[in-house]
Amino acid sequence: MAAKKKRTPNVQNDSWVVVAADSVIDTQKHDSDPAFVRLRNPLTDAASLYMLGSGDVQLYEVKAFEEDFHSWFVGQTVQRDGRLIFVTPMDPLYLILPYLIKSGKEGKFQPVDQVVMDEEFPACSRLLSCTRSLTSLHHIAEEKEVGGLKFHRYSQERTMNWLKKKVERTVTALKKRNISVGEGVKSATFIRVKPDADSHEEDYLRYAHGLISEYISEDLSKALLKHLGLPELTSPKETEPPSKKRKLSDQPVEAEEDYTKFNSADFARKPPKKMTAAQKTLAKVDKTGMKPMSSFFSPKVKAEKK
Amino acid sequence: MSCNTSVTRLCAPSVGQAQQVTVHLMPCEIEHNGPALVSQYLTATTKDNKQEKMVSFRGRGLKGQELSCPQGYSGLVLKEINKPGSDQEDRTVKVSSVFDKLTYWNLETPPNSDDTVVMAMDWPELAEAIHGPVED
Repeated sequence: MAAKKKRTPNVQNDSWVVVAADSVIDTQKHDSDPAFVRLRNPLTDAASLYMLGSGDVQLYEVKAFEEDFHSWFVGQTVQRDGRLIFVTPMDPLYLILPYLIKSGKEGKFQPVDQVVMDEEFPACSRLLSCTRSLTSLHHIAEEKEVGGLKFHRYSQERTMNWLKKKVERTVTALKKRNISVGEGVKSATFIRVKPDADSHEEDYLRYAHGLISEYISEDLSKALLKHLGLPELTSPKETEPPSKKRKLSDQPVEAEEDYTKFNSADFARKPPKKMTAAQKTLAKVDKTGMKPMSSFFSPKVKAEKK
Repeated sequence: MSCNTSVTRLCAPSVGQAQQVTVHLMPCEIEHNGPALVSQYLTATTKDNKQEKMVSFRGRGLKGQELSCPQGYSGLVLKEINKPGSDQEDRTVKVSSVFDKLTYWNLETPPNSDDTVVMAMDWPELAEAIHGPVED
C-alpha cells in the first residue's frame, strides 16, 4: 500500500477480500490445504507470493488490484485495506524456466529435480508436483530418457516457440475482450486514428508481449520480441502502441507503461523494518508478491477513455 | 531470508461454515478496521434505479453497481486465525465469509465499463490465456 502523508499505517489488518478460482477451495480431491508460499519471481528474481493448491497439483498467481483511497464494507464491518486480490491458475513452467536456464549454461542433460532447487526458496521443488510441470517440460527443454530416468536440458529454441504460442493465445484473448468491452466505451467523440489493420495487429502483439514479459527475465523478453519479428524500440515512449497515445490525462505514462521498469522498480522493493509480524507478512504480500491489477489495465483505460 | 520458508495455510474446509456476506467497495479510505452499521446507514438508504444504485454517504453522492464474480470464481473473505508471534512461523487463514457479487461505488461518476474494478474482473480470462496449456 502506498503510504499517504498524514495517514496512520494500517496495522491491525488481518482480513483480505479475495476472488479465487473455485478449484482453490475444492476440498474434495486432496487432504492437504492450499498454501500461500513465496517463490522466486522470474522477472524480478526476488520473492513473490504464489499459492500452491491442495496436494500441490496446481500453482496459482496472487495478484492485488488496488486503487488509491478505497476501503471495503464486509457485512457489518469496515476493512480499511481496499485491495481486491485475485488468485488465478498459473503455468508453473514460468517459475521453473529460470532454474533450467541457469543449469543449461553447463550444457548437460540433468534430472530436473536436481535443477529446480533453491536454498532461498525451498518451496520451489514443490513446483514439480504440479500436474502440468513434468508433462510440459518439453516446451522449454530437450528430453532424454536413459534407463527409465528422464533428463532435461534447456532449449532456447523450444522456449521461444512456446512463448510465441503464449503471445498468440494472449492476442486472441485480448481481441475477444476488446469486442465485448469496446462497444460500451464508444462515445460521440471517439475517433479511430488507426484504421490500418497491420499496425493494429502489431499493437496487440506488443501488448501481449508486455503481458508475457511479466513472467520472464528481461533478456528472454528481448529475445522473444526478436522472435516475434518486432523491432526493439529504443525509448519507452515509442514502445507504446499508437492506440495508447490517445490519452487524455497529462500524467507521464512512460514508467507505468514500460512493463519491465514498473516491475523492477516496484516489486523488488523490500518491506521496511520495524513492523509487527502480521504487517511484515502483509507487506510481503503487498510489495513483493503482487502487481497491482491497474498495471495491466491502465493503458487500456487510457486507450478507451475518449 | 528464512522468512521465505514460512507458508500461510488456507484452511479450505472452513468455506463450509462461511456465511454469504454483502461487500461494498467504497471510494474512500476509511482509517478503521472493525464493526460498522453498514445496513443501517448504507443499505437502508440506497436507491435502486435500473442498473445504477445511488446513496448519500457522509453527504457525498455515490453511484454504484453490482458486479458478479467471473465464472468459475468465488469471492472469499480471508481472516487470519491464531496469529503467530514471529514471522518465521507458519500462519493460517480461514475463509470467514463468501460472496458471489460485490457492489462498488464511485464518487459522483456513474458506473461504467472503464471503471478499473470492472476491468479487473476480466483478469481471470486474460490470465487463462497467459497461463493455460499450449498445444504442441
